[in-house]
Amino acid sequence: MSQALVTGLNGLSYAFILFLLAAGFSLTFGVMGVLNLAHGALYMLGAYIGLQVIASVHQFWAAVVVAAIALAIVGYALYWFFLKKLYNKVPQQGVLTIGVSLIIANVVLWIWGPISHTMMSPRGLTGAVHVGSLGFPIYRLFVVGIGVLVLALLWYMQDRTRVGAIIRAGMDNRDMTVSLGINYGLVSTCVFLLGMALAGVAGVIGAPITGAYPSMGDNLLLLTLIVVVVGGTGYIQGTMLGALVIGMLDTFGKAYIPSVALFFSWIVFLAVLLLRPSGLIGRKVF
Amino acid sequence: MSDERKRSTVETAAVAAPDAVAGRRFGATTMQDAGVVTVVAIIVLLLPLFIPSFVSSLVTKIMIYGLFATSLNIIWGYANIPSFGHAAFFGAGAYTAAILVIKLGITSFWLGLLVAIVVSAAIAAILGIPAFRVFGVGAGAVNPIYFLLATIAFGELLSRVAITIRPVTGGSTGLSGVPKAHIGFGSALSEKQFYYLVFVLGVICLFLMYRILSSHYGYALRGIHDNEKRMQALGYNTWLYKYTSWIIAGVFGGIAGVLFCYFGSSVIPSQFAMATSDISFLLVILGGTTVFFGPLVGSIFYVGIEYVVSIYLPARWPLIFGGLIVIAIMATPWSRQRYQGLGPGVLLLWRWLGRAVPRLWRREIAEAPSPKRGV
Repeated sequence: MSQALVTGLNGLSYAFILFLLAAGFSLTFGVMGVLNLAHGALYMLGAYIGLQVIASVHQFWAAVVVAAIALAIVGYALYWFFLKKLYNKVPQQGVLTIGVSLIIANVVLWIWGPISHTMMSPRGLTGAVHVGSLGFPIYRLFVVGIGVLVLALLWYMQDRTRVGAIIRAGMDNRDMTVSLGINYGLVSTCVFLLGMALAGVAGVIGAPITGAYPSMGDNLLLLTLIVVVVGGTGYIQGTMLGALVIGMLDTFGKAYIPSVALFFSWIVFLAVLLLRPSGLIGRKVF
Repeated sequence: MSDERKRSTVETAAVAAPDAVAGRRFGATTMQDAGVVTVVAIIVLLLPLFIPSFVSSLVTKIMIYGLFATSLNIIWGYANIPSFGHAAFFGAGAYTAAILVIKLGITSFWLGLLVAIVVSAAIAAILGIPAFRVFGVGAGAVNPIYFLLATIAFGELLSRVAITIRPVTGGSTGLSGVPKAHIGFGSALSEKQFYYLVFVLGVICLFLMYRILSSHYGYALRGIHDNEKRMQALGYNTWLYKYTSWIIAGVFGGIAGVLFCYFGSSVIPSQFAMATSDISFLLVILGGTTVFFGPLVGSIFYVGIEYVVSIYLPARWPLIFGGLIVIAIMATPWSRQRYQGLGPGVLLLWRWLGRAVPRLWRREIAEAPSPKRGV
């Protein structure tokens, strides 16, 4: 039982990393209509940039900020030079971004080598909080805290702000929104940048937990896709629920039944596809 | 009956998709095109007599990848079902054949091929149900994102299965040491004989696919590509058409997998995964989705580039491969369907030659009686 609590915290922190990734992915898709399969590779790039910054200036927060800004720039360049010209051609966008992720993965391999890097938890966040005989790693609590903060901000933005209203309107009917005189292009660009920056933040914050290795992009992309399909696109609550289900299943599965743990998330994935194709909480996008 | 039915299908498809039926998009087959096919087939047939064996192994690879990509083009180019997980069937075929030979000791190539066809059809039938559940009806073609995500996940799921059940599949290192193919005549096939086996099987498969796509069924698929709602209004069960075309594509993908397992004499889990699916859609885009032989043309370019890179810059291959994908996507004029990919280019070049060469000929021998125009 006590072990289950610690595993639960691990699962929760993993779920929040998945949430940061999947939120960026489904924001870019929902708002821009852009299918960005390079999201996993961008996460990896964020992790490596974070590692590099920490190695040179020893500042965790600087690494988070630099990675977020760097990824926003890279992501926007990707949009400006390529994806913009493929508007409304989702399969082509997918193929293109797969190509881009291959390039990113190989460049990362070229620069940083094939070895798996581990990032130390930043100073002040090492160690554990002891409750009775249980030790909860502080860093995991910190990740959960950041995740909750981002979730609250995104939720607030979606439901309570003008930007959120514009986004929801644009998802329903983009042409109508634009014809009402709303600068949808500006809003969607900002949200796209936010989604990219989230991938960078997730990369740096997640690196002490997931590690950093050149093939991590594919693994995380896959988990992101599963989260998005299970949770559904369009609502931040759906993404969170999907991340929670997949993160928890994966962590508990690995802790208790490691031999078949891999397939728990797949079973959920297939079940959701069959029974509720629009996701647990999602807009009917088709 | 069947002739009448075909005519009526072509007529209804013509209502739904005038472009496709008039041959403006897929390029009407002419006698000249039949000429290209014959000439190319004869060249490929005679090639092993003149070239060193490493080149003929490249040609074998071109044929296998070409078959694989053409099977993807059935659903991608004709029925407009963009699948990112076509390697699921390729891997299924390869693994089935390898397991039969290595683990069960069944050495007959034909039995392996038959079982692999059944297995890949079964996998396609099973995965098709959840996949087409999210593909939706009618407007599904407008927003195929969930379908894309699901197909990526299927291929990866199968590769994880292959990694996990180690006793059967050899785990993450796969199975190596697949022996040379036995097709029933005496000893195992030599490399040259295998070349001809791939050639014959490839021609049969391409012919079957071509027949399927030029039947009433194929015209219905083109109609779905252009206007699915209209096809539904005309009384077609479009779900069934898409689902069956997915299974057909899966079977031919599986056959390509079987050939590849004998070609490379090993199987690895990544044959199910994105790495292999990437190849299939790069070939389709390189060659063009609108011409039946487009993916084969793409295959020639791809294998050539891969060979050169594997000699000079093997470590940077993913970078170049990704760059190829980006260039292919960005260079394709997506709004002008006749000019997508290299396939139509080759076709147009051939047709231009067909007009220009006889003209030159006539000019040179102006005094002589003008030669009859060839077919």
